[in-house]
Amino acid sequence: MTVFKSFWKVLLKYKGTIILYSMILIIFGAINMSTSDSSVNFEDSKPDVLIVNEDKGNKVSDNLVKYISDNSNVINDLKGEDEINDALFYRNVNYVIYIPKDYGKDIMDGKNPEIDIKSTGDYQASLAEMMLKRYIQVQNIYKLNISSEDEFIKLINNNLSKDASIEVTSKLDTNKLSNVSTYFSFASYSIMAVIIFIICLVLSSFKEKTINKRTIISSMNYKKYNRNLLFASFGYSFILWVFFIVLGIIMLGDIMFTSRGLVYMLNSFVFTICCLTIALFISTLVTNKNAVNGIVNVVALGSSFLCGAFVPAEWLPNSVLTFAHILPTYWYINSNDLLKTIQVIDFTSLEPIFINMLVVLGFSILFIILNNVISKYKQKVS
Amino acid sequence: MFWHNFKYSLKVLFKSKVLIFWTFAFPILMGIFFNLAFSDIENSEKLDVIDIAVVKSDEFDKNIIFKEAFENLSDGDDKLFDIDYTNLDKAKQLLEDDKITGYLVFNDDINIVVSSSGINETILKYVVNEISSNAEMINTLAANDINNEIKKGNYNINYEEIYAGAYKLVNKDTAKLHNISNKNLSYTMIEYYTLIAMACLYGGILSMYIINYKLANMNSVGKRTAISPVHRGQMLVSSLLASYVVQLICVTILFVFTIFVLKVDYGDNLPMIILLALAGSLAGLSLGVIVATLIKANENAKTGVLIAITMLGCFLSGMMGITMKYIVDTNVPLVNMINPASMITDGFYALYYYSTLDRFIFDIVSLLAFSILLIFISYFGLRRQKYDSI
Repeated sequence: MTVFKSFWKVLLKYKGTIILYSMILIIFGAINMSTSDSSVNFEDSKPDVLIVNEDKGNKVSDNLVKYISDNSNVINDLKGEDEINDALFYRNVNYVIYIPKDYGKDIMDGKNPEIDIKSTGDYQASLAEMMLKRYIQVQNIYKLNISSEDEFIKLINNNLSKDASIEVTSKLDTNKLSNVSTYFSFASYSIMAVIIFIICLVLSSFKEKTINKRTIISSMNYKKYNRNLLFASFGYSFILWVFFIVLGIIMLGDIMFTSRGLVYMLNSFVFTICCLTIALFISTLVTNKNAVNGIVNVVALGSSFLCGAFVPAEWLPNSVLTFAHILPTYWYINSNDLLKTIQVIDFTSLEPIFINMLVVLGFSILFIILNNVISKYKQKVS
Repeated sequence: MFWHNFKYSLKVLFKSKVLIFWTFAFPILMGIFFNLAFSDIENSEKLDVIDIAVVKSDEFDKNIIFKEAFENLSDGDDKLFDIDYTNLDKAKQLLEDDKITGYLVFNDDINIVVSSSGINETILKYVVNEISSNAEMINTLAANDINNEIKKGNYNINYEEIYAGAYKLVNKDTAKLHNISNKNLSYTMIEYYTLIAMACLYGGILSMYIINYKLANMNSVGKRTAISPVHRGQMLVSSLLASYVVQLICVTILFVFTIFVLKVDYGDNLPMIILLALAGSLAGLSLGVIVATLIKANENAKTGVLIAITMLGCFLSGMMGITMKYIVDTNVPLVNMINPASMITDGFYALYYYSTLDRFIFDIVSLLAFSILLIFISYFGLRRQKYDSI
């Protein structure tokens, strides 16, 4: 028990690090949750549009504003050009429309005034531009024959009110599920960093020269000693996993108690085991505490960036994804991504996920073998 | 003595592998990761060709306006759709396999089938709506023209020509839009700016290390220097100068690497970029000094604190998610006003995106104020430290 107990004693010294990584996960999770509503019906994607209307009070201009407002999220609370520019840069606004003074009057006079716009050039901005262009197009055609403002506006609105029927085949709440997947994918970073970092630091305390010498000459059987350390490391990883799952349940809600949620949990458990084996391997490889710090950051950040923990995998270049196949995180995140699209949870649909889990377990076995080879080699050398 | 100590401080700093890793290698490694992860992200957010299917039927063949509209939309370099004309079962299969965004069924009405909500789906729906409203406009316009002809007494009407005229009118792009947005809109640049901020602040590890080296309670060399008849202020300044030099070398290397290998755009104002790098490194240096003097712990703990402060600062200025900086800036601006990582990031952002220098100057002044304050506090922590025995 002495070894087991002192493991926890040393571990408690590093509680600050554990809290830091957990906080990052919580902040990330909370921000992620707040950005989407959940629904299974078809919801139009609405671009974030800002309208600067210099022609307030004119019916024709106001009708344009009304049409854009009905089909997008209008951002109002920005003051000044600098705030607008900032919002555009950080994609808080996708499209800005500047309606010039006397716009409505010019239209009724038969002119076609130019409209200034600002655009981020992404999907949302393209959609906003499609709306604006369509409106202007309709306006330009109807103004050819009409002289009364009210009739003109009525004709435009009538024409634009067309709404095709749309049928959604998937019965999944995609927003909610993608939240769950994003949480678990990001958690791969926290799990990996905290497990490798702490276990390596704690074990390197045990491997300090003087302590190691004392342990070797003690009466304790080395097998028992190793077993104790292993159990303690496993216990720590397990507690950490439970902690992250509880965090997940608090943030994501009852979806975690469905069969799909259970698969998410199982998947993360398999990944936790793999991180544990990586941690043990690295702790055998390096015992310098300062080096551990560097290695953890490179390994954890590297695999998170390359496998899609921070940036969704679909947005990564193909070459990066191909390379990522040699990292266990890739397979873990791939399962998370698959889980959000599977329609019905049963054994056939889960097959690719189980295969991914097997690959992750395969990595674990590989690290255990490597660990043994290296420690044997080190023993011989020393 | 000043230059003697300076020289040996440089040697000490360059010989520490850990320091070299954190200040030289780590930022470059992160830069490579960023480049791998973010190089495609802005392209994948641009409107791409959307794959859809149309279920072939008599109704579709008869619907000339739709047929032509779809042919136009799936033709040319700037096409919007890739269309697979197929039967219902095949279309269903394609949708299930995630090969298409959705498919269209033409009965008496038009039915769009998609698998979930999303931006591509919305665009598809929007285009279908647009074509049907165009169809209505064409019919109205043509009917008007025909009426006019009849009113004129012309009964020999060329329907085809009237419809063709209406079709042309409706499909002519008459919207006059003028894009006045700044061309420098690449928001992934922020990632690299936070990287420079991180490198500047990690420079604090150097100044911390060298201060520890001079502290009697940290190091046996410190004990020996404490009893030597050398002016302490002079020695600290020369050591710090050495760490500042090393820091500037590492930031310069990072700049060269990001500009020439990763193609990062810092704007065109080179003197201002250098000024920002100098001020940012000074902030990192002062952060290291204050951690070294105020926190009474072993060296590892101090390094941990410094790295934690730097990482938290970078997180809040957008390193782990670019919108984070915007969220903090707009909701709790005070946090980023005292966050040196954000001051550095914001300075580069101001150079890249803004045409005026007001914001940049505010950032530089904040950085200098931050550094002076920290050095001032450390000065009072360090002076008159005496030990009767240690």
